[in-house]
Order: sequence, then C-alpha cells, then structure tokens
Amino acid sequence: MKKLNWIFYIKYVLLFFLLIFMIRLLSGSGTSSTPAAQVDADVTSAINMDMLSAADHRMFKRLYGINANDYEDVRLYVSGSNMEVEELLIVKLKDQSQAESVESAINTRLEKQLQSFEGYGPEQCKLLNDHILDVRGNYILFIVHNDAAAADKAFRKSL
Amino acid sequence: MIFSSVFFIFIFLPIVLLLYFLVPKILKNPVILIASLIFYAWGEPVYILLMIFSILFNYLTGLEIDDCRSKGLDKKARTAFWLAVGVNLGILGFFKYFGFFIDNLNAVLPFDISYHPLALPIGISFYTFQTLSYIIDVYKGKVKVQKNIIYFGTYISMFPQLIAGPIVRYSDIEDQLKDRKVNLALFGNGTAWFLRGLAKKVLLANNIGMAFDAITALPLGEMSVLTAWIGCAAYTFQIYFDFSGYSDMAIGLGKMFGFNFMKNFDYPYTSSSITEFWRRWHISLSSWFREYVYIPLGGNRVSIKRNILNIFIVWLLTGFWHGAAWNFIFWGIYYGLLLLLEKFVLKNILQRLPGIVKHIYTMFFVMIGWVLFFSPSLGSALQYIGTMFGIGACALADATALYYLSNYFILFIILIICTLPYTYKRFSHCMVSSKVKRYFVLASYIALFILSTAYLVNATYNPFLYFRF
Repeated sequence: MKKLNWIFYIKYVLLFFLLIFMIRLLSGSGTSSTPAAQVDADVTSAINMDMLSAADHRMFKRLYGINANDYEDVRLYVSGSNMEVEELLIVKLKDQSQAESVESAINTRLEKQLQSFEGYGPEQCKLLNDHILDVRGNYILFIVHNDAAAADKAFRKSL
Repeated sequence: MIFSSVFFIFIFLPIVLLLYFLVPKILKNPVILIASLIFYAWGEPVYILLMIFSILFNYLTGLEIDDCRSKGLDKKARTAFWLAVGVNLGILGFFKYFGFFIDNLNAVLPFDISYHPLALPIGISFYTFQTLSYIIDVYKGKVKVQKNIIYFGTYISMFPQLIAGPIVRYSDIEDQLKDRKVNLALFGNGTAWFLRGLAKKVLLANNIGMAFDAITALPLGEMSVLTAWIGCAAYTFQIYFDFSGYSDMAIGLGKMFGFNFMKNFDYPYTSSSITEFWRRWHISLSSWFREYVYIPLGGNRVSIKRNILNIFIVWLLTGFWHGAAWNFIFWGIYYGLLLLLEKFVLKNILQRLPGIVKHIYTMFFVMIGWVLFFSPSLGSALQYIGTMFGIGACALADATALYYLSNYFILFIILIICTLPYTYKRFSHCMVSSKVKRYFVLASYIALFILSTAYLVNATYNPFLYFRF
C-alpha cells in the first residue's frame, strides 16, 4: 500500500505540470485578440495601397477556393488590373487548426498566379516569388507587393 | 494528419501496417501507441503533452481506485473518482469553453476581461469521453482495471478513432487490447470499409460541400427561397457523408489492426421519426450519453416531470458537447423538444401516418436542425431559416437556384441513392454470390480508390467537419 501511495503522488505532480502548461498557454499562446479591423488598418497604412482595392467574400472564394464565413475575419485587397499581381490578404482564424487549410489555399493561389505569368511577365513573377506568407498564431498575412516587408513588419507589430 | 490525405494513405499507413505485421505480438500495441502519438503530434505538436497527461493521469487513477476498492477504502476511491471526473471535464471545459464563457461574461459585465483565445486540441471531446467511460466503469466495477500502461495508452490514443470517433467504450475493447487476430478476410473487410469511407468523403462530401460553400458565400439578401433550401440540402448530405465517411474509415482501419469498433451510423436519413434518427446518427455519442448521463439520472424510471428534465439535460449537454456557441446549445434544446413532443404528444399520430409523410416530417426537422448547426451564430441561423421560408429572400426561385439545381442534379441523385441501404446490401450480396460478381465488386472498389486518389491529388486541404468538435 505504501509503495502504491508513493506512485499516486505522481498524479499530483502531473496535475501541477498541467497547471503550469495551462498558465503558459494562457499567457503566451501566440494568439492575438487584436480586432482584424485594427490589423487591417495598421497594415494598409504602412504600404502604398494605390493599386489595391478591397474585395468581397465572393472574390475571396473565387481566388482562394475557401469560404470566408469559416474564419473569424477575412480582409482581401486585389489589384484592379489582370496584369498586376499585387495582393494583400489578412485572415483571422477561429482556431489555429485552420491555419493549414488557409496556407494550402494561399499556396495554390500563388502557384496558379506563377503559372499565369511564367514566360512573359518577369516583373510579376519576381513580385510573386518575393511574396510574404506569415502565420502568427491565429492570424495569417499573405502579401504580394513591393513593400511586402514593411507590411509584414506592421502586421507583427499590430498583433 | 487526416485519413483523406495522400501522405496518410501512401506513406503513413503503409509504414505503420508494415511495422505492425512484422513485429512480434508483444510489440503490436507499442507500434500502435507510438504511431498514434506521431499521428496526433503531426497536427498538434503542443497538445501531444495534454494527450500524454491524460493517459498517465487516468491510468494512475484507475490503479488507485482499484487499489482502494480492494482494501475497502471506498471513501478514498470515491475521492479519486471524482477528482478524475473533475480533472477530465475541467480540461475539456478549459480548452473548449473558456473563450465562450469569457465572451458571455464580457457581454454582461461593465468591463472587458481580455484573454488569449486558445486553439482547440483536436479530438479532445472524443478522447475525454473515452477516458471518462474507463474511469466510470472501473469505479462501478463494470470492467477490470488496466494495469498495462501500453494497453491503456493504446486505448486512449488509437489513431484510427482518435480524432473524430467512434467513441469506443473501454468495455467494448478490453479483450481486443489483450488478444486479437487479423486474418486476410478481416483485413480485406477493413480495406473495403476504409475505401467506402474515403469515397464518401472525397467524392461525395467534398463535391457537395463545394455547392454548400458557394451558396453560403452569397449574401442572405441575394438568396432565393429555393437557393436556401438547396444550400441546406447540400449541407445535409455533406455532413452525413463527411462524418459517416470518417467513421467508416476509422472502423476499416480498426479492422486492419484486428479491432472491431461499433458502427456509428445506420442509414439515419431513412428514419421515420426524430427518435429513430437519433438511434441511427452518431450512435456512439448517443449511447455514451444514455449510458453515463441519462440512466444515472434515473432515465425513464422516474416521474414524468423528472423524465422531461432528464431528457432536457441530456440534449442540452449533447448540444454543448458539439461546440461552445449558443447555436449548438439551441440545436441541442431543439432536438430535446422534438424528442419530448414525439414521446408524449406525437407518438400515436406518427404511427398512423403513411411512411412517406413520416420521412418528409423527419427530414424537414433534421434539415432545419442542420441550419442551427452550420451557421456561425444563432442570429445568422435564424436569418437563414427565415430565408428558407421567404422572409428576407429575394425571390421564390432565381437563376442562381436553377444553376445549382441543374449543375448538381446528378450528384444529388447519387447522394440520395447512397443514403439508402439498398446499394450497400447489393454489394455485400455480390461478395458472397458468384465469382464474377465478386470480381465486379473488387473492380468497383479499385475504381473508387483510383477516383478518390485523383481527387485528392488535385484538391486543396479539406479536413473533416467533425474535427472542430
């Protein structure tokens, strides 16, 4: 019995570790409660948005093949011309398990764009290859833009 | 990692199967345990710690309860039992409902409590119910304590049914953990189950899911009554083929490793009442709630008032189990009300109605229920239901509705056929009749596999709907 009692104390040690694990998750889970509108404003004010205009959920569905209603918030800006590849996408996830599906959709979109401009649009291809895809907890940023680095910096600061 | 992925089918599964059949009997459970932990860690590198905690904590609790019982220390056993129940439900509550409670508190408090939203550990609702079934059954003396931690870990983390069920009760699998055999017939049967599930998910659920996604992306004000019904019908089929597809794959994988899991679906859309529907839909969850909540509360061997309360409690919990949102709670209450109505008011009336009327009645309420289920909030669910009945709809029918109806007409017919038992029974019959028919069935399965793989290679990431529970 004494020997078994000793083993059962492990249960309480395990509970102690669980408590620490939960506290760590709560204090630094990597997710952000910043509203998507705020992140959107911070990113769009950091770069030149002249060639980009806001797109609706249907456009998002058409370009990325996934449904905006499945996510907490989706902000998409696309170029008005078919010959331009500038694009900005901010997705706030409902939970981090959705990140994989969004990343996959973004990569598919990127590949399609690269295929479209391959061979005759070297500038567009360069911009596409220099894209930034940044997954930060419950937020994802995808940008194809000359100022992509500045947008990413603003994105990280905003979270 | 999901079953319907090229990586799982062509790399993970063959390697695990190869190892499983190469190692001696004593190492078979360790192979499944390690494979399961890798499978889980693949998508949840942080939450694997939670899974390991759950295995160790519940294993030790089982030993403690058994030890106390054998020494007549009932009070100590009870303390250990309630601590385990509290810890398991506490973990589920913390990860699944924490944000929901804070959001609701913030709605009524004059100030806001800020918090970091937590990601939901995949499968937590399923494996928590499995651990609870073990602890409750050990405490009640219904099963023997599992002294082998590898066996216990295998039961909790077994990858075929880890993420979205079926919720396997320990008592159902106790003997199979110790001793099971895989012969060619069982392996072949398992492969057939797996391929059927794969085809249900990839060919049926994902394709009709595209129609549902496209329709729900439309603003409600631009949706006609017919479009709203087509969208609802699309989801009705998507969730059935998605979830039953997953369950079939899980059952099939189980058979490949020598396990027999209970069936989780029994042609639910052929039901003639809501009561029958819930005997056929997500059977493992319904039977879990009946066994561990409804019966301990007194079941129906109590006064009518108490029985009504018991049914409400069970359905409130069923709704809440599905998600931390008001629409899920209302979804549970909605079914609680319907079941009470059938039990106390409609029972005799329903019996006298023709079969077709009973089917229409059942499917009507099931479809309305799915709107509560798929909508992101209660408000949007009510708006969508309003559109289905003409409130806020742009027209009775429009070009969009006709477009979806004509484009998906053949798929809808296939889906209806596949919800009925006839096709499956014909297939099973062919397997035991002539040799030619058997080859035909085998060729059909190979064709399903090739088609599904072709879809998988071209498709984007498409997780199962029940992963979020």
